[in-house]
Amino acid sequence: MADETVDKTEETAGAGNDATADATAEETAVTAAETPVAGDASELSEGDTAATEAQVASEATSVTAENVPDVREAMLIKPDVGFVKEIINGGGTDLKKCYQCATCSVVCNLTPDDSPFPRKEMMWAQWGLKDKLMGDPDVWLCHQCSDCVAQCPRGAKPGRVLQAIAKMTISRFSWPGILGKGVGSPAALVLMVAIPVLILLGVISQFGHLTNPSKGNIILDGSGHQIVQDVKTGGEIIYSNFIPIPAVDITFTLAFFFAILAFAVGSSRYWKLLSAHAVSEGGTLKGSGLGNLGPVLGEIITHKRFGKCDETEDRKVSHMFIFYAFLGLFVTTAISVIGEYLLHKHSPYGWNNAVPVKWIGSVSAAAGLIGIGWIMINRFKHAAKIGIGAYFDWLLISVVATVIVTGILAWGLRVANTPVAYTVYFIHLASVLFLFIYAPFSKMAHMVYRTVALVFARVTGRDMGIE
Amino acid sequence: MADPKLGVYICSDCGIGEALDTEKLENIAKNQYRIEVVKTVPFLCSQEGAQVIKDDINNEGVNKIVIAACSPRVNSDTFDFDPAQYITERVNVREHIVWSQLPAALEEVPAQEASEAAPAETASDEAAPAEAAPETAEAPAEASSKMVVNENTQEMAEDHLRMGIVRAQKSEPPEPFIEAVERTVLVIGGGAAGLTSALESAKAGYKVILAEKEAVLGGWAGKMYKILPDKPPFEDVKTPDIDEKIAAVQSHENITVLMEAHIDSIAGTPGQYDATISHNGSTETHRIGSVVMAIGWKPYDADKLGHLGYGKFKNVVTNVEVEEMAAANNGTISKPSDGQQAKRVAFLQCAGQRDPEHLPYCSSVCCMTSLKQALYVTESDPDASAYIVYKDMRTPGLYENFYKAAQNNPGVMLTKGEIVSITEDSSGNIILEIDNTILGEKVRIEADMLVLATGMVTNMLPEGAEKVTDLTPEYVGQWKETKTQDGIIKEVIADPVVLNLVYRQGPELPYLKYGFPDSHFVCFPYETRRTGIYAAGSVRAPMTAMQSANDGVGAALKAIQCVELTSRGQAVHPRSGDESFPEINFTNCTQCRRCTVECPFGALDEDEKGTPKTNTSRCRRCGTCMGACPQRIISFKNYSVDMIASQMKAIKVPEEDSKPRIIALICENDAYPALDIAGLNKIQTNPFYRFITMRCLGGTNLVWIADALSAGIEGFLLIGCRYDDDYQCHFVKGSKAANERLGKVQETLSRLMLEAERVTQVQLAMNEWDQLPKIMDDFAEQLKSFGPNPFKGF
Repeated sequence: MADETVDKTEETAGAGNDATADATAEETAVTAAETPVAGDASELSEGDTAATEAQVASEATSVTAENVPDVREAMLIKPDVGFVKEIINGGGTDLKKCYQCATCSVVCNLTPDDSPFPRKEMMWAQWGLKDKLMGDPDVWLCHQCSDCVAQCPRGAKPGRVLQAIAKMTISRFSWPGILGKGVGSPAALVLMVAIPVLILLGVISQFGHLTNPSKGNIILDGSGHQIVQDVKTGGEIIYSNFIPIPAVDITFTLAFFFAILAFAVGSSRYWKLLSAHAVSEGGTLKGSGLGNLGPVLGEIITHKRFGKCDETEDRKVSHMFIFYAFLGLFVTTAISVIGEYLLHKHSPYGWNNAVPVKWIGSVSAAAGLIGIGWIMINRFKHAAKIGIGAYFDWLLISVVATVIVTGILAWGLRVANTPVAYTVYFIHLASVLFLFIYAPFSKMAHMVYRTVALVFARVTGRDMGIE
Repeated sequence: MADPKLGVYICSDCGIGEALDTEKLENIAKNQYRIEVVKTVPFLCSQEGAQVIKDDINNEGVNKIVIAACSPRVNSDTFDFDPAQYITERVNVREHIVWSQLPAALEEVPAQEASEAAPAETASDEAAPAEAAPETAEAPAEASSKMVVNENTQEMAEDHLRMGIVRAQKSEPPEPFIEAVERTVLVIGGGAAGLTSALESAKAGYKVILAEKEAVLGGWAGKMYKILPDKPPFEDVKTPDIDEKIAAVQSHENITVLMEAHIDSIAGTPGQYDATISHNGSTETHRIGSVVMAIGWKPYDADKLGHLGYGKFKNVVTNVEVEEMAAANNGTISKPSDGQQAKRVAFLQCAGQRDPEHLPYCSSVCCMTSLKQALYVTESDPDASAYIVYKDMRTPGLYENFYKAAQNNPGVMLTKGEIVSITEDSSGNIILEIDNTILGEKVRIEADMLVLATGMVTNMLPEGAEKVTDLTPEYVGQWKETKTQDGIIKEVIADPVVLNLVYRQGPELPYLKYGFPDSHFVCFPYETRRTGIYAAGSVRAPMTAMQSANDGVGAALKAIQCVELTSRGQAVHPRSGDESFPEINFTNCTQCRRCTVECPFGALDEDEKGTPKTNTSRCRRCGTCMGACPQRIISFKNYSVDMIASQMKAIKVPEEDSKPRIIALICENDAYPALDIAGLNKIQTNPFYRFITMRCLGGTNLVWIADALSAGIEGFLLIGCRYDDDYQCHFVKGSKAANERLGKVQETLSRLMLEAERVTQVQLAMNEWDQLPKIMDDFAEQLKSFGPNPFKGF
């Protein structure tokens, strides 16, 4: 390698190749073939895809094929202490303990063989190489199995570090950026909770009955007149008296589309940076994103990658429960909306409907309860070996748990005719709203960013799926 | 000593009684050597067994005890008879013979022959191979099978017994050489090692003279901003505390501190050195007992590191310069170019180290130093960072904890890497181009300044010395050619640097490599090649202040041990407690100077004519002078040319060509135990060897070779320690001296019309015992190929 280094220096200095270069031609040619020509990615930041000087320079250097020494231009790295501290504070607490033994990459069942993660990410993170890490799809190829965390001889917890970096990805590409920062920050929790609560209070005070909704059992008719209704089969608790169904639907539809928009902006920013980085590292984009989405979704619905985890094998099932619970609840909501507005079949539904919407919803809720409970138990079970998780994790876990528990309680308390049902229903709605509007900024965003990264990994040929 | 009276004791346990015909052995002692007290004792090392010997000492007046049993390396406490009164000779028939040779075998013996053989055997001690054990002789006269000892094994034991008896006959208990000693330790150098040495010696009740060349005490340890951790958990840097030690030294009543001192000369011997020291314009001579040399280190000359930007770019500095900067500015590191605080400081490890062009060695301290200085950077500004580029991060021992702690600092960034180039941009920033990093690619880093982690050079070398890889051998000095009758002799005339010893071999300690004082690194780290002078701290190997302080304690104990043993007339090391010493019969001295030149420890001085002058307390008792002397006039009371020659003569050389006799001279420190281990492992060795134990192969005298070969011995195998750079010889130069001497034996052999290869030296470490059978067989094979020694039978 030493000889080669000399050659490289001479080459860069314009000395051309001489007898020394010839002498080591064979060796260097081999190296050149193995090492992709890398460009200067240093100046690369958001949306910057310009061709770099390095590439121009390397193209301009004319050398014969056998004598191609390593013409890689050294990348100018910009270590950023602030970024290192950010990772440490974001859950990668033990990042600096890594001494690069690569045990993590060896024990990882999900990493590609070539330049595997998380070893290289650990080193970049120790040096605070923000740009490299932000444009690195491997951060999301990691599924937090925590095999590396359990096996790391220095307790550097590589999985936690990648997770912290992933969280920073979410925050960095978020739109609006302020929400990205707020959701990730424990200090802003009260404010973040206040937003959906206030929106909901505003909607209820405008369109529903915030106080004593049961007494009046009044709802608005289509023209805005108040109508006193009969007590129906569902008992005296009528949620639509508290907040009319259209008000709920409009609020949540708006929230839903806000999330979609935020995801669209965030993921396209992310895709752009990934592409720019891949190109600057000498990679090529081979396929289309949409074309590769199918196989990725296939992997997601089967949880194939989760299944490769050793330490946290049971996460596959617990996550599947919650995953399908959400899918089921989405279907339930869709059917309800169709029923409400197209077929005019109003909720609440009975158990004997032709379309088993009640069944789908209940089973999904049960699955969600099992899933989230399991996830929490797992966290405690593995706490000693791989840690209990960071604020970011527990924020999502708490919100999902709240959504599911209050959802089930809201049903039970309604049937039982307990006035506290309204409060529980309010919490349920607020937590669902929280989940919706913050989905692009909370850990929930993993569903989009991980999907983007998996698709991108296929597009560049880095990871064509797991066997 | 009273009239010599030998007693021979043969142990019959541990398989010896089964493998050997002990009665025949007894008969050799009785009949050939006319010894009255000869006994075969079962379980000789038991209390009862040892009592048999003690009774004979008390009742029969036995004073030379020959024990044919186990190795002297075991049961030394049982057979521990006062060496001032008694000679104890251990003939190792167990490990070296019985356990490594063929045992007795079952044989069909016709009845008549068996009964006839027995009386014949008792009649003559020179009987043919033993065929009958005493008990079987009384067996009924009928054809039977019985155990018969192996002929070769028996002969080997007989020869070794003969040699043991002769050795005892030729030995006298040594009379110690006792002189008055001065119990004062001279400590040269007042740094971490020297201060500790002075304080520890003083605390132990010895007077100390501490000579420091500078105007302040403390050395490098006093110049640091922070020092490395020196206590568990070895995680945090600490404020220097050398001042406490300085105060303790200055206030101790046993310590005299001489500042701005210069050692003009040190003459004499351990216990009786006269050190002439000038300081404050006056010169005084002090009587001292021993010396601790703790003169420390100097930084490698960074001017030679132009290829790393030093001297070319303003913002490239050395680790020593950064330390000075930190000490002067309370930890703040500023760019030399504009005095602004440095926010990005790069450190390049192994600068001019582990580099054949500069220092080929690792200074072992610089990785910790850079980590420490990186903490200066991050602690004076939390947003600043330090980039450390290393070949290998080496933080030995518990300094690993310090490494971990420093690494955990977000601003301390580490990567392995090889420097491709170091350049400067227009604003004075330093750009490092690094390849083979663990960042996965070739990178460039921009830094405000670059710190070169330069290495440590021993102060044994004078300022401005040549490249450490290209020094004159053993001493810094000039080559000088002298015409003698043997031809032109080239030797180095050593320059005085620090000690100014009045020794025949030169004014300083000899070094082995890179200027560090030569010592048997593993076994005797502090012992230099001058008895009484002990090296401590970075003068002998690069080390931290904490390690230097530990070294100071070790060297102080050695200096004290030296004075105490010298006061009793005993050798200091490695033959600690040995009271024998070489004596020269001057009447036959030809003033050839071989002894004064060859002594590995500079023990012998000489007058103008070349007559040697012994300095007994400098001597390590290896016998290299004895081997060097062509006149055979250097002898110990219990170790001499004549004694070993007589041992060789005692070997019976049979006329049959199928029974060659080969002498193996074995070094007592490695080859002897290697043979013991082979025996313990029951590895069979060639039965034709006869082992003669040497204090060191350096004692090999060429006269033995000529004598023994003319007496029909087939060849000589010298089994000694490894020599040259990675030597293992306890006496540093002994095995090498033997080898050089063998180069001259050719002449003798050609005069005798014998093959030069009949005398061969092999280098063997104790752990290479498993190679012994092959080495011995190969040599025997080679001798066989030469045909029998023509002198056999004359």
